[in-house]
Amino acid sequence: MVLAHFPAMLFFSFLVSVVFGVLGKNTLRERIVYGAWVFVAFVGVALALGWMMYPVP
Amino acid sequence: MANKVAQETISDRAQPKLATLIWLCVAAWMVPGLGHMLLGKKWRALILFSAIVIMFLMGIAMQGELFSTGTDSYLQTLGFFGEMCVGLAMPVARFFGYAGGNPLFVSADYGTAYLVAAGMLNALTVLDTYDIAMGRKP
Repeated sequence: MVLAHFPAMLFFSFLVSVVFGVLGKNTLRERIVYGAWVFVAFVGVALALGWMMYPVP
Repeated sequence: MANKVAQETISDRAQPKLATLIWLCVAAWMVPGLGHMLLGKKWRALILFSAIVIMFLMGIAMQGELFSTGTDSYLQTLGFFGEMCVGLAMPVARFFGYAGGNPLFVSADYGTAYLVAAGMLNALTVLDTYDIAMGRKP
């Protein structure tokens, strides 16, 4: 299986977020909110770091 | 107030025997989600099993590296223990002929990250099983 970097990062973030959401909170609503927040944080930080490193040779 | 009542209800539960705790943790380590299943948390078990096994299978499909302890590199040894945390999936993959990946394959680095992360997530699942069995979590 060949995945480009971005889809691989998205899948990774999604699966980790699901597990973090299930393990980290106790109610369904809390789990969904926390899982979504972790996913957005993963993707956002990865994109921000990518842009910050863009000028670095 | 509700949190206090829930906390008291949780702490009033009888503590399980040591053998039961060890069995639950070993079961949770061998098969992701099995510990939760034995504790009656079926949906949680199904979600954890699906997420961790999918992650492991994607790591295999991307030719991720299976580490061994026979190297001088501490990082590779840590990677081995990280992957071991996924339980039976690693020996099963080897049984079905997965020889440890191809480091020159284009997605191999991501595959390795997926394999180690699957193990780490299963380690968290084992700790969660322990907490539920001890009555610290609902």
